Order: sequence, then C-alpha cells, then structure tokens
Amino acid sequence: MARKPSLGRRKIKIAKIENKNHLQVTFSKRKSGLFKKASELCTLCGVEAAFVVFSPAEKAFSFGHPDVDSVVNRFLSRDVPPQTTNGALQLVEARRNANVRELNMQLTQLLNQLEAEKKRGEALEEAMKAGQSERWWEAPIEELSVKQLEQLHASLQELRKNVGKQAERLMIESAMASPYMPVNEVTGFAGNNPYELLVTGFGGHAHGHGNGLF
Amino acid sequence: MTRKKVKLAYIEDLSSRKATFRKRKAGLMKKMYEISTLCGVDACAIIYSPFNNEPQVWPSNEGVQDVLSKFEELCEIDQSKQKLNQDSFLRQRIRKTDEQLKKQIRLNREKELSQIMYRLLSGEILHNLSIDDVNDLQTKMVRFRKDITMRIHSLEEAEGHPINGN
Repeated sequence: MARKPSLGRRKIKIAKIENKNHLQVTFSKRKSGLFKKASELCTLCGVEAAFVVFSPAEKAFSFGHPDVDSVVNRFLSRDVPPQTTNGALQLVEARRNANVRELNMQLTQLLNQLEAEKKRGEALEEAMKAGQSERWWEAPIEELSVKQLEQLHASLQELRKNVGKQAERLMIESAMASPYMPVNEVTGFAGNNPYELLVTGFGGHAHGHGNGLF
Repeated sequence: MTRKKVKLAYIEDLSSRKATFRKRKAGLMKKMYEISTLCGVDACAIIYSPFNNEPQVWPSNEGVQDVLSKFEELCEIDQSKQKLNQDSFLRQRIRKTDEQLKKQIRLNREKELSQIMYRLLSGEILHNLSIDDVNDLQTKMVRFRKDITMRIHSLEEAEGHPINGN
C-alpha cells in the first residue's frame, strides 16, 4: 500500500515547534479547527464569545458571536450588559439567529454531500484496484511495456471509432426521438470482437487485425 | 470524543446543553493553550454563558487584557480584515466545503469514465450511457491515447532508438 503524503495523527509534545514551516502549517490548521469549534460552541449552546489569535507574523485573527467588538467591550466593562428586554434588540437578535440557523443547515447539507461523494470515490477506487489485478490493460501506463502500450493504443483507436459512430447515432436519434430504436445502447464493438486480443492476453505481435491500423 | 454525529443546531434540552457546554468549553481552552504554546503566539478567549456568573476566560483575566490591548493597538483595517462572526465564518466554510465537493465530484467522474472505458475495452456492451457519458468518454480516450503515445516515445528515447518498427 502506497504511503500517504502526510503522516496523519501523531502524538506531539506541547512545546514551541522548531521548524518554521511546520510551525506555520500547524498554526493554519489549528486556527481553522479552533474557530470551527468556537462556532460550534456558540451554535450548540447559544453562548456569546470572542476569540483572538495572533499569527506568527503578528496578524490578528478573531471570531466572535454575536460579534467580536460587542463581547470585547462587554468584557472591558465599556458597555452595559445586554438589555434583552429591549424589543428592537430582540428582533435583531432573532433575525440574526435565524440567519445563522439557515447557514448551519446549508453547511450541514454540503458536508453530508461531501461525505457521500468521498465514499463513492473510495468505492470507485476499490473497483479500479480490483480491475487492475485482473486485466493488465487497466494498470497505470507507467507499468506497461512498449508492446502492451502499442496494443492498448490500437484498441483505443478502434473503440474510439465505434463510440464516435454511436455518438452520432445518439445525437440523430435523440433529435428524431424515434420510438422504435433504443437510444441508449452503446456497444464496445460492432460485429466481431476486435478486442479479442486483449481477452486472450498478450502474446506476440498482434498486428494485421481489422483494418491494419499501423 | 463523541461517537455520534451532533446536529449543528441549538441544543434544546437544558441538561444536555449544559453538559455539552462544559465539555466543549474545556476542549476549546485546551486548544487555545496548545496553539499558543506550539506556535508561540498570543491568544485569548472570552466566553459568556448562562451557566456561570463570570465570563470564562483564557489564559487569565490579566492575560486577556494584555492580548486585547495588543489587538486594539492595531488600526481598524488590520483588525477587521480577519474579524469574523458566525455569518461570515459560516459563509467562508460553506464556500470552502463547496469547492471540496466540486473537486471530489470531478475526481469521481474521472474514475467513473475510466471504468466505463475499460469495460468497453473488455468487450462489454453497455446500455444506459447518456450523451454526456459518450461525449466525455471520447474526450477521455483522446487524452488517454495522447498519454500512451507520449509514454511510448519517452520509453523509446530511453532505449536510445525506436523499438522494433513493425
């Protein structure tokens, strides 16, 4: 099994990171995760909060609910604690909360879709790997010999012609919308099987089949 | 660490909400400590909750004040460049997730087309291919053929001479 590009989860010591690049990457990832957790806390528990983080380059990043300034001012006692009995304020807050609810729903839906597509990707990957072990022409081209490559090239050319004919037929048929002809059938070949050489495996120089493509 | 997926919405049940708050707050404070230490950066957190009288802070009341002074020293522009609230943060996340989704769909489509192509090469007869499938298939085969030709040439170059003409 090929090594994944990153090492994934490793237990690390909580001490300042030596390597500058590693430090920057860690900062980016952790800041992202931190704000994600902060957003979740505010959503799930309905609390007001503010988070400020300075980057290694001394840039300021902050997240706050309802917003950074109001929480900071409240902490520094510059503002009086929120008057929740104020009708206008309540309306603003209700509308804001409704908006956040909408956004969270949208995000959740996207995350679910992403997860579904990732699973689909894994299934497709599995099928690919299985196919590679059974049929030599499904292996990555870096693993094929010149003879195999030439054979594959020829077969592809043949297939392309057939698919091209079918594509034309499909375009014409869908335009005519004939009730008698099946619109959606595409054959890998027409008549005898020019791909027999693939099925019987690689053996010798397979030239002179069909229309003599070389 | 939870095993269940939690819905991203306000927790109605009080005791459940309180427990979640306690655990997540602790986790968040730990993350603040970690990022601050690992990256050697200044940071602070202020959390108001109906469960505590005093705001929950990190690192400490004094520490927060120090970081806030530093924060306020920055001009308005530098502060607000990355000043997010729920609305802006979620929109950002939605945008990024959407990009990831599109990318994954694109990747999956490529793999799917490969599968179709290989099945046709095996001599299978496939029904139910859409016009899009057929068109995308042709595009893919053209590209694939080019790659094969390039590979053949590079192998022949490596050998130093063309390998048995015919």
